[in-house]
Amino acid sequence: MSIIELKDVSFVYGKKTPYEITALDNVSLNIEENLITGLIGHTGSGKSTLVQLLNGLLKPSSGNVFVDGEDIWEKPKKIGQIRYKVGMVMQYPEYQLFADTVWDDIAYGPKNMKLSMEEIEHRVQKSAEFCGLDKETLSKSPFDLSGGQKRRVALAGVMAMNPKILVLDEPAAGLDPKGRREILGGIRKYREESGTSVIIVSHSMEDMAMYCDNVVVMSKARVLLNGKCEEVFSEHQLLKENGLDVPEITNIVLKLREKGINIPSNIYTVEGAVSALAQMYGSTSAVKGKEVRHGF
Amino acid sequence: MAFDVSLGQYYESKSLIHRLDPRTKLFFIIMFMVSTFVAKDVYSFAFLLGILLVSIIVSRVPIRVILKGLKGLAVIIVFTAILNIFWTKGEGEPLVDWEVIPNFWTLKIYVNGLINAGILAVRIIMLLTATTLFLSYTTTPIELTDGIETALSPLKKIKLPVHEFSMLMTIALRFIPTLTEETGKIMNAQKARGADFSSGGLIKKAKALVPIIIPLFVSSFRRADELATAMECRCYRGGEGRTRMKKLKFKVKDVFGLLFALVLLAGVILINIYAPGYEI
Repeated sequence: MSIIELKDVSFVYGKKTPYEITALDNVSLNIEENLITGLIGHTGSGKSTLVQLLNGLLKPSSGNVFVDGEDIWEKPKKIGQIRYKVGMVMQYPEYQLFADTVWDDIAYGPKNMKLSMEEIEHRVQKSAEFCGLDKETLSKSPFDLSGGQKRRVALAGVMAMNPKILVLDEPAAGLDPKGRREILGGIRKYREESGTSVIIVSHSMEDMAMYCDNVVVMSKARVLLNGKCEEVFSEHQLLKENGLDVPEITNIVLKLREKGINIPSNIYTVEGAVSALAQMYGSTSAVKGKEVRHGF
Repeated sequence: MAFDVSLGQYYESKSLIHRLDPRTKLFFIIMFMVSTFVAKDVYSFAFLLGILLVSIIVSRVPIRVILKGLKGLAVIIVFTAILNIFWTKGEGEPLVDWEVIPNFWTLKIYVNGLINAGILAVRIIMLLTATTLFLSYTTTPIELTDGIETALSPLKKIKLPVHEFSMLMTIALRFIPTLTEETGKIMNAQKARGADFSSGGLIKKAKALVPIIIPLFVSSFRRADELATAMECRCYRGGEGRTRMKKLKFKVKDVFGLLFALVLLAGVILINIYAPGYEI
């Protein structure tokens, strides 16, 4: 079932000025429930605009956005309710922290929802725990934390609102590989435990292949491809024509095939490549105990 | 975006006014300001309005854009005009003579007051339109501060920090769009967390701004720090001995521009003397 549906959505910035830009051009799109959907595309392809349409921060110039089967702009005064349903973590969310303590900052969203004190306390504890923030950190000032920790606080602040859909704009931007894995892995675990539908905007094909179920590729204000990871990455020709790429490991696999090695071409993660190669050469020890994700 | 910043935004074009030297435009604006205050009667106002209209047409900035910029200041203009109605003491019978609080305060409105208020509104509108047209819509902030710096450079002789002052202004102007963008981003982020900026009383609204102002403050300091480091890294040491990439050059059209500004002032004075219409 699709939890978000866009119907012929267009969005134009600076209408009727010399700076007019069409950020989205007649986009129709379905996003499925309970999955992690990756949104990928060049800078200026319309990703961030699309994301802001999902919780009504922007209003489409034309077309409709349906969340959970409901047209979100049917009652413009109720748009606040949509924002509790579609939780959004913006790019570099650490710059939005403001409260005296981490606890207060995480509680800001739930407080706006007018929940009871016990419920707020419960949610803050739970989401802080989830984002790997200990009790001691909760009483610190958010401005005393490291960059990575700040980002987790921001993430926890949105998770504490228990949204049905969680949208993350470049959640791993500017983090080191370990930080990336922790944040993205944490989001994956969160989805498994809470059943939230997740949308991740990213530049990294590797991250998409590792953590997403579905991928939507944007190019020049339109949706270029939309489907399962395997389906999308199998279109390497089309992706390259549009200035995007497949994961590095897929490139290596394709090169190997060019050299006459008969390895399947639908491999998108290092683990997948390892197990395929191991199978070909009759050894299974290399992949023991590892999570194997590849396209068959 | 939350704030309408069209007042004071550069409007890209290659019109004659865009290509004038910023110093010419500064001089013209000063002359225009003086003229609006010197102007005393209907004819001189019509003369100034005519020149303003021609300038707008020559600059190729659409009237729509200019009106949109003025809209944001409509409240101030109307407010000043209304105050003027009450403050002017005229001769003869007042139009309204109403003892609001007996023996304490009487509201009197004279014909003169109404006319004064109207003139004041026209004056403010003309000044605002002219300054934004010449100094923001057709001049980039960099050109403007360069212009001010060279125009004021004689003051360096008496040890006034002209360069530092203009650098300060350049930086301030340069960061207005950045801060606006940042404000928009932070507002969106807090809105996504259920912030509500439009409902409730004044105190509630002011409180709702805290989650925007604090992050904005923090990031301004961070930005200032980064900028200082970046300038230091490029060996910035103030104005002494600095050369420019774009040197301002006075051209023939600038000479005409300066002459035109003088003609403008002279014209208004002459109209005042020789063709007195309805005196205001």
